[in-house]
Amino acid sequence: MMASPRPLLLATLALTVSVVLVARRESTPPHAGFASDTPVVLVPSLTGQPEYCLTCHSGIEEISAAHPTEAFGCVRCHGGQPLALDAETAHAGLLGGRNPSDFDVVEEGCGGTECHSGPADEGLDQIHRSLVSMQSTYAGAIAAVREAFGSQSDAEAHFSIFAVSDPEITSPTGLPSLEGFSPQVASEPPAVQAFAERCLTCHLRAEAVDQAGFQRLTGCAACHAVSNWQGTYDGGDPTLPRDEAGHAETHRLTTSIPYSQCNACHNRGNYSLVEMEFQARTDLPSDGTASRLAAYYQPIAQFTACEEELDCIDCHSAGEVMGDGDLHRQMSEVRDVQCRTCHGTAAEGPTTRQITDASDTALRQARLNPHATLELGDTVVTTERGETLWNVTLQSEGSLELMGKVSGTIYGVPPVAGSGCEQNPDEQESSACHECHAVERP
Amino acid sequence: MNRPTFFEHLHPPFIPEAQARFRYTLGLGGLSVFFFLVTSVSGALLLFYYSPTAAQANASVQLLQFHVPLGWLVRGVHFWSAQALVVTAALHLLRVALTGGFRSGRRFNWLLGLGLLVVVLALDFTGYGLRWDASIGWALVVGTNLMRLVPLAGETLYRWAVGGSALGEATVLRLFGWHVFGLMLPAFAVLIWHLFRVRRDGGIAHPAGPQGVGDSRLPRARLVQREVMAMLLAGALLLTLTAAAAPALTGPFDPSSPIAEARAPWFFLSLQELLRLGDPLWMGVFVPLVALALVALLPYGIDRGLILGRWLPRDGRVGQALVLTIAVGACLLAVRGALR
Repeated sequence: MMASPRPLLLATLALTVSVVLVARRESTPPHAGFASDTPVVLVPSLTGQPEYCLTCHSGIEEISAAHPTEAFGCVRCHGGQPLALDAETAHAGLLGGRNPSDFDVVEEGCGGTECHSGPADEGLDQIHRSLVSMQSTYAGAIAAVREAFGSQSDAEAHFSIFAVSDPEITSPTGLPSLEGFSPQVASEPPAVQAFAERCLTCHLRAEAVDQAGFQRLTGCAACHAVSNWQGTYDGGDPTLPRDEAGHAETHRLTTSIPYSQCNACHNRGNYSLVEMEFQARTDLPSDGTASRLAAYYQPIAQFTACEEELDCIDCHSAGEVMGDGDLHRQMSEVRDVQCRTCHGTAAEGPTTRQITDASDTALRQARLNPHATLELGDTVVTTERGETLWNVTLQSEGSLELMGKVSGTIYGVPPVAGSGCEQNPDEQESSACHECHAVERP
Repeated sequence: MNRPTFFEHLHPPFIPEAQARFRYTLGLGGLSVFFFLVTSVSGALLLFYYSPTAAQANASVQLLQFHVPLGWLVRGVHFWSAQALVVTAALHLLRVALTGGFRSGRRFNWLLGLGLLVVVLALDFTGYGLRWDASIGWALVVGTNLMRLVPLAGETLYRWAVGGSALGEATVLRLFGWHVFGLMLPAFAVLIWHLFRVRRDGGIAHPAGPQGVGDSRLPRARLVQREVMAMLLAGALLLTLTAAAAPALTGPFDPSSPIAEARAPWFFLSLQELLRLGDPLWMGVFVPLVALALVALLPYGIDRGLILGRWLPRDGRVGQALVLTIAVGACLLAVRGALR
C-alpha cells in the first residue's frame, strides 16, 4: 500500500527551494556588490603571494610612488587575509585597523630593516625617530605641568606618554629613557590628573579630537596622510563611506605636507592651565574657510612676510619635526632652523654644501617631492646641526632660491649681508629678527 | 529466492506502527545517520584541498572557501551537518533515555550509542581545531590542557592529542590524523555495530508481547518513503543554512601568541562555564566524567524498569530525573556562557 505522495512532494519542493538559495549565493558572492564577477588578483613582487584585496578596493589610490602597488601590494603594510573575498575574513588581522602606521603596530606595518627601521646614518630609522620625538613623548609639556603644580621641583623630563628608551644617544641633550606617564597619574595632584585626562590629545598616539578641523590619523599617517577639514574620504575606493569622519582624504602618503595638516594640532587654540582644558580659537570660521594667514597665526603672534606664504615644512626640517633620534626634554632642544639658517647674518652667509654622492639623503628626500629638480652637483643650505635643507639651493650667480615643497613655487632668499641690517651681532635668534620684520595682520 | 542485501540486514523489514510514529522517535536516530553520512562524504571532498600544516592549513581553508568552485558549499554543508549531528545524536540519546529504550537486553547498545556521541563530540572538536584560525585558540588550549589533568595518563593523552609537549607545528597534523582516521574509523565501525545491534536486539524498542500485525506494522517500503522525506527535509535545511551563513573564518592561528579572548564553540560552552565555577581538575575533568559514567551506568543498576515503547514510563523516574538533570544542567550552563 502506498501512502499519499503529497508529503514527499512538499519535501522535494523544500529541497528545490534550498537548491535555488544555494545557486543564488553562488552567483552573488560577498564581493559581488563592489566588483566584477571575477576576483581581481595581484601578486606583489616583494611578497610573491597572491592578494585579492583589489577585488573590492578597486580604484583605490596607490599609496605613494615610493610604495608602488605592484611591488608592495596591500598585505605587506596592512596585514589581513590576502585570499579572502568577504570583508569579515579579509580584514581579520588588519594592522591598526585602517592605519598600519599607528604606533601600536608601526613596527610590523612600516618597519623592518629594509623599510623604515633601517640604519640611522642613512636616515632610514624613521620609526625610531618618530617614537622618541617630542611629538610622541610630550615630555616637555608633562614636565612643565608637573613642575607648575609642584609634582617636581625642576623642568627635567621624567615621563613620556608611553615608556620609551633610546639605546643610542647622539646629541648633547639626549636622554636614555623616559617612564610612562599613565601609571604615575593616580598619584599626581588633581590639576595634573585633569591635565592627563583632558590635555593629552595631540601626541602621535592619540586619536584626533572628533571635530571638523582637528582631523588627522595617528602614527606616521598623522602627518603623512592628509585629511580634509571634515576628515572624510574623497578618493576612488568604492568600499569606503564618503560621509564618515576619521579618514584621510585619499589613500596617499606624502612628504609634501601642507600647513593645513600641521594645523590639525597646531595653531588651533590654547590649553588653559587654569581651566585645564583646551580652548579652541574663536576667531576662525567653523567651516575651514579661514585664510592661510588667519589659520596660521593667532592674533597675538609675530610673523614675517615669508612665514605667511610658505608651508611649515619649507623651513622646519625633518630633524626638527620627526626628531633627531634622541629623547629630549623640550622643544628648544630640537629647534634648529632660524631665519639666519637661510638668510645668514650681517657678518656671514648661510652654510652650504655641495652634493657629490649619488646616494646622498638629500637627493632621496628630493625624489619624493613632485616639484623637486635637485641634482648631483647642486649646492644646498645646511643647518647648524648639519641637516640639509634640500629645497634651498645656491644658484650659479650666487643667490639662494627656496622651493615651496607643497606648492613648487620658487622664492628668492634675500641675504642679510649687505642689507643694512643693524641687529646686534650677539642677538641673532629669529625672535630678534621679528622685532623689526614682523608684519601687521591686515 | 532473493537473499537479503547488506542494506536489508541493517534496515528493519517493518516496525510497529505505534513506535514508527514521529512523536515517539522524533526521527532522531535516522537523522543522525543521515547527518553522519553527509558529514563523511563532504569531509572526504574537503580532503582534496585541506593542507594539514601549520603554515598552510588556514590558507587552504580560505582557498576552499573563496576560490574553489562550490568549495564554500562543501565546507558549509560539512560544518552545518556536523553541528546538526551533535544536536540530533544528543537528542537521540535523551529520547532513548526517556522512553526506556535501553532496557530489556538493549543495555550494551546503550553503551555503543553513548560511545558514538563521545566520538562525535571529539570529531566536532578536532574539526573546529582544523580550521586553524585565530578564533580556535582558547578552546584548543583549554580543551587539550584538560586532558593533561587526567590523573596518571594525562601527559600521555595530551601528547597523543597535540603531537608534542605543547601546541605547535605538529598539532594540525595530529588533529587531522585523529579527525579523518583515528576518530572516523571507530565512528564508522561503531555506527554500523549500533545499527546492527538495534536489529539483533529485536528492532526498535516496543512493548513486550507479539509485535503488531497487519495495519499496525509499517512495512519497509513505507518506512523508506518516510526516511527519504526526512532526508529531503534535512538536506533542504543544510543547504539553506549553508546559503545563509558561512562558518566563521579569520586569519591563521599562531600557537605562540597569547590568546586574546576566551571564546568557545557552542558545543564547548557548558564546559567553559563549568571551568569558571572552580578547580579545572574537578570542574573540567571529574564532573564531566562522573556525569558520563552515571549516564553509562543507567541500565546497569540505576534503572530497573521494564516498560518499553512509550515516553516517560512510570517505572523509570530515577533514571529520567538523572538524565534530565544532566541535560538541563548542560543546557543552562551553555546558555549562561552564550549570554556573556
